[in-house]
Amino acid sequence: MTCPRLEYRAADDEHEFDHVRPYCTVTKEFVSPMKADICNDRFDFHHERHCDVFKARAETPPADDD
Amino acid sequence: MSYQDYLDDKKVILTVATTGGIHGKNVNPNLPEQPEEIAEHVAACEELGAAICHVHGRDEHGENDASRLQAVNDAIRERCDDIIIQNTTGGQSTLEARIAGIRTDPVPDMASLDMGPFNRGQHIITEHNRHNIQTLAREMKEKGIKPELEVFNNGHLNEVYQLIETGLLEEPYYINLIFGTGTFSIPSPENVLNLVRNLPENSEFNLLATGPHQLPLTTLSPILGGHIRVGMEDNLYFRRGEPVESNAQLVERTVEIVDRLECDLATPAEARETLGMN
Repeated sequence: MTCPRLEYRAADDEHEFDHVRPYCTVTKEFVSPMKADICNDRFDFHHERHCDVFKARAETPPADDD
Repeated sequence: MSYQDYLDDKKVILTVATTGGIHGKNVNPNLPEQPEEIAEHVAACEELGAAICHVHGRDEHGENDASRLQAVNDAIRERCDDIIIQNTTGGQSTLEARIAGIRTDPVPDMASLDMGPFNRGQHIITEHNRHNIQTLAREMKEKGIKPELEVFNNGHLNEVYQLIETGLLEEPYYINLIFGTGTFSIPSPENVLNLVRNLPENSEFNLLATGPHQLPLTTLSPILGGHIRVGMEDNLYFRRGEPVESNAQLVERTVEIVDRLECDLATPAEARETLGMN
């Protein structure tokens, strides 16, 4: 299962690309190719176990969850 | 593999590593990701004197995708004259994906062969065991693909000796010494000297160093009889705070340094001969 925090976007406030790229809605940053394997649960990775951002978010009350 | 080689005017093989599997355009928009972009960068670097290109495949989102190596290889062959294509078999993927790097049609002249795993971040480990290494080495030998042995740290040099014992490698062994952060060898001139002293006989070495270590440590290599790899896979800045504009910018600087050291660069044909690829 793909991380629910992952989106594919072509732009943010600082960047604009020809193609959509993996974007983390928690850190509000584009994701590196290696990290994207975790976001997409590729190989033996799983975002719930291996993504520190996801884990930290899961442990935080969703008061400002957008 | 010595200072005497430098004094004897040994030619330097220059490799450009255009893209890698770690960074994306979000870090430096000049990083080539798509086949045509990569081929454009490679062609410019060949024109400047690079003899080998080390390449990775990316999908349309900029993510790692070994199946795209075929398109990368095709685009390079269309745009370039004779540069040696070295496909990656590295990264953090499965053996199946790694093998894709040596199953293009035609097969590449060379391929990287990681000598073990390395860590990245808190959870990423590039799982790579001796079974995988030997499986790749065996297929490379069968297909006449020259492996570049990626020595990410001192312990991986032990793995090179172990692999030599299996009989899966042919001389000269082409060993890439890697310096940087994390699992890589600690970047210092002393460690370069130490690793070079411990290389197997009948080997040629290449040197790559990441980030700010690229310029000083690769400069050391030809003086020790070694070869050089530069490119945006290893370094996204031309100087502190100044993002690099292209792979050619890094290659051009290295060409100038090699020239000032009064060395000559090897052509692709000369590189093939030096590495026993003919």
